[in-house]
Amino acid sequence: MADGADLFLSLPDDGLALIAAHLGHPRHLLSLSLSSRRLYHPLLSSPSTWLSLTSSNPGSISPSQLHSWHSLSSLSYPSLCRFVFTASRLLSLWAHQNPELGNLVFPIWGFVSLVFVRIIPQEVSKNLAFSPVMEIHCDGDGAPSLFFLHGEAGLIHAGSAFSVIPSDPTVLLLEADFSPNSSLKSSLFGKLAFGDRRRLLDFLSSKSAMKLPSDLESAPVFPRSHDDFNILSRRREALISMHKAIRGGMIDCTIVESSPCSSSLSRNRSFDGDGKKKTISSYVKDGIKQLIGRSIPSKSNTNGENKHLPLNEFLKMGSGDSIGLSLRAIHTRVTSYRSWPNMHENRFALYKLPLNGPESGKEFSGLWGGSFGWPPALLGQEKPGKALFLLLLSYEETDMGLVLVGTKVLEGTHYVLHPNGSSMFIAKMEEPSTDTFPWEMEMRVSCSFSGEGISSGYGFRYPGSKPGSLFSLCNGLLAFVWRESKAVLALERINLSEMVTQGEQVPALPAVSNFTYLTKSYSNVFTGFQSNLCDTSTPR
Amino acid sequence: MGFPREADDHAEKLRWRGVPGVGDGSKDVSNDQQPNRNSGAEVSISLPSITGKILAKVIEYCEKHVFDFKQGGPGEDWDREFVNVDQAIIFDLIRAADYLAIQGLLDLTCKKVAAQMANKSLEEIRKLFNIENDYTPEEEAAVRQEHPWAFFD
Repeated sequence: MADGADLFLSLPDDGLALIAAHLGHPRHLLSLSLSSRRLYHPLLSSPSTWLSLTSSNPGSISPSQLHSWHSLSSLSYPSLCRFVFTASRLLSLWAHQNPELGNLVFPIWGFVSLVFVRIIPQEVSKNLAFSPVMEIHCDGDGAPSLFFLHGEAGLIHAGSAFSVIPSDPTVLLLEADFSPNSSLKSSLFGKLAFGDRRRLLDFLSSKSAMKLPSDLESAPVFPRSHDDFNILSRRREALISMHKAIRGGMIDCTIVESSPCSSSLSRNRSFDGDGKKKTISSYVKDGIKQLIGRSIPSKSNTNGENKHLPLNEFLKMGSGDSIGLSLRAIHTRVTSYRSWPNMHENRFALYKLPLNGPESGKEFSGLWGGSFGWPPALLGQEKPGKALFLLLLSYEETDMGLVLVGTKVLEGTHYVLHPNGSSMFIAKMEEPSTDTFPWEMEMRVSCSFSGEGISSGYGFRYPGSKPGSLFSLCNGLLAFVWRESKAVLALERINLSEMVTQGEQVPALPAVSNFTYLTKSYSNVFTGFQSNLCDTSTPR
Repeated sequence: MGFPREADDHAEKLRWRGVPGVGDGSKDVSNDQQPNRNSGAEVSISLPSITGKILAKVIEYCEKHVFDFKQGGPGEDWDREFVNVDQAIIFDLIRAADYLAIQGLLDLTCKKVAAQMANKSLEEIRKLFNIENDYTPEEEAAVRQEHPWAFFD
């Protein structure tokens, strides 16, 4: 039987590229390339084959971007493809409950990196304002293991990212983790008390702070055009070199133990309610239970028993090792209500929001943006005083049939009216509306649906609803009208990637708060730097 | 509509009557030889690198897909059975489909090869495709060190 290498070598480029496009992961193509000396060079150095592999991955970077990454970095196509395939599992929308005005985090491809930015609460304007949250860079093997957390005053904090990313991550955790060759298999960080977690993360971020050289400080964090690739390449080299110089932000445990952050320990916390010394496995079990998404109050129990792991015991578990900031993506079961996850309120965690594109029978799915009032303030216009609302539209089967739910994920008012993740409206897809659009306009109504819009209810946490109608207009806009008040929420479909690329970067918060701002807040904590917020509250 | 052909093992000339929905004709056919679907004119196309056996398989695929076109094609089961053949034949079919620009057949055969490689280790891929390991032990060790992630389970 002939050498199988001949079979592959005899294929036309199109054939090999198409086989690559159907492979589930670059590992298989790499295995084929490495299987014999005769295949090694032809396959490893065939850009079209590797480019075809990434372009088949939804949400992936474009072939021209991959080509630029390859030519400006020292990384091979297999390594770059491995990075793209793994990191692309994080392409989604992420958020925490707090601050309630919204804190939407969105990943965008950088330069051999995935950059997470936050869309801050703002008004409708020409350019969307965003602040940098964190970056995951590719290491020499193609693993997404280099973590950079943005902080205030241009500081960037070094850490590590756990490079095994599940295929469907539901939560992103900011933790303190021991060095990669630690004997501890699972993270026990979640078992620490909130105060200890906060102090440890603050301490580690203070010790891992870096600053880019002045000529790179104002470089963009992701490419806005092809012209940015050169400066981004230099920026990445600087980041990686600083990351190495600071040992990836890893601090010896003995230093942490003798630091102020571990001085305020509670004594005798390592015993459970029965007076028996808790074992590591019982801490792990409790920790995992707490991570399963329920809205759990920050005090874990009310009868005074404290099941938290003391900080000094946690540090001793990695004895002799060092510890540093770490980012971990996990898949854990998270319950949700109307497309909004139930979140643990005192975890340094970002939860994945379900972002689905339009499909047959569900044409309105996806991210929409707009404001109250008519005529509508469209994005890209300067409309002083109009709060920007971002809504995630999704479908649900209910006892009223198929309904469209408009989940609020960002609100640009000065002081929030309804919780983050509230349903601004629901529209019944099987019940056309008999209402007429109350405002004069040139465009036709394509169809309309009966529904309910949010209104004041029993306090902040429990909004009510009032009747209204959703109008789909021929120009692609949606408008929800509250029947009684005639308030109109006008929405257009948003391409967030495009808007962020053309947007305006604003400074970040201090590191740990920049990841998740856990102090309860009903106003805009992200704008100590700008005052272009309005405080319109529309009566409904 | 049929495919009149002169049976000749290595250099077939095929009288090709334009068939809607099946390929755009060979890539190397010059413009004045392109099949004209409306007129039904017969065109000669030279197929120097395709054996009679492979051509017969290609024709079998085309005929089945054309005749079952109105029913949405012959279905996945038929396609799966069609590519349930030796490795050498699959690769010959890929080359033929690429040469004749028959996208459906190209997709089907390439998907088959990709599916065979899925979740296989490097050793399993060597065995499956009978790829000879022509590295010296030192070379193999160097390759493993340079690309460790190819060897994860």
